[in-house]
Amino acid sequence: MEEDRSTTDASQLTLGISGEYMSGGYVLQSQDDDGEESLNDHDDVGMKENFREQDIYLPIANVARIMKNGIPQTGKIAKDAKECVQECVSEFISFITSEPLKLYLQKFREAMKGEKGIPGVSVGEGLGEELTDDSFTNQLPAGIITADGQQQNVMVYTTSYQQIPGVQQIQFS
Amino acid sequence: MSGDNAEDNVNHASNSKGISLPMTRVKLIMKSSPDVSSINQEALLITTKATELFVQYLALSSFNNGSGKDNKTLLYSDLANTVEGTETFQFLTDILPKKIFARDYLKLIEENPIEEADN
Repeated sequence: MEEDRSTTDASQLTLGISGEYMSGGYVLQSQDDDGEESLNDHDDVGMKENFREQDIYLPIANVARIMKNGIPQTGKIAKDAKECVQECVSEFISFITSEPLKLYLQKFREAMKGEKGIPGVSVGEGLGEELTDDSFTNQLPAGIITADGQQQNVMVYTTSYQQIPGVQQIQFS
Repeated sequence: MSGDNAEDNVNHASNSKGISLPMTRVKLIMKSSPDVSSINQEALLITTKATELFVQYLALSSFNNGSGKDNKTLLYSDLANTVEGTETFQFLTDILPKKIFARDYLKLIEENPIEEADN
């Protein structure tokens, strides 16, 4: 992790602390500096170093406008709040693109290992049917991506989206 | 290409339904995920719309979660607190760390010397 401890302008410096890093993996970020510095410290986002900032984020004006439409009356929004929501948005898009598929495949494999009372052969058959069965896909909460055939890596939404909370509450019965 | 027709429909739908986010940018971000080769046009539209709703939901949740008396301004700290406290937003905890000032951090370090683990 790169950290610049030599800076002495403490009054203009804010330090980011991730809640997960209990043992003290503090993130030092300058308030005036570009927010990309914290990006480079993350392992997951290593590939994003190749992209420009305007490529990996949605335009902040659009994001700010949508935020304003969401909050009641005409409340103000702090500048760093807008910027961080901008990052959250990109994270959200990546998340709903990749995460449901991972979870689905994981559950799929777990189910195939044999639940109680389900013989091995019929599990494979049953799940094979379920993959293309409409009734199965309709049971999924809003926002779940189902793989449309395993030959292509095309993500197709087969359920209409409802509320955003449904994205997180993925339940595979 | 048969895809053109679908794309026209999608673009028309996006204009009439009032999508204000650039779908080409959304598509770029989606493609940055591993194992994604192509994006279905309708999936792109729904993702864009879902993103808009997400922004509103996050903004509103943080706004309501903020200071009850003078909740005129949505602050970064509101977002950080909301993300930490709501299960729905757990996936954002890594990019929304809470902030403290350097002087407080240095004070903390003095009290509890911490060995930095290089991640």
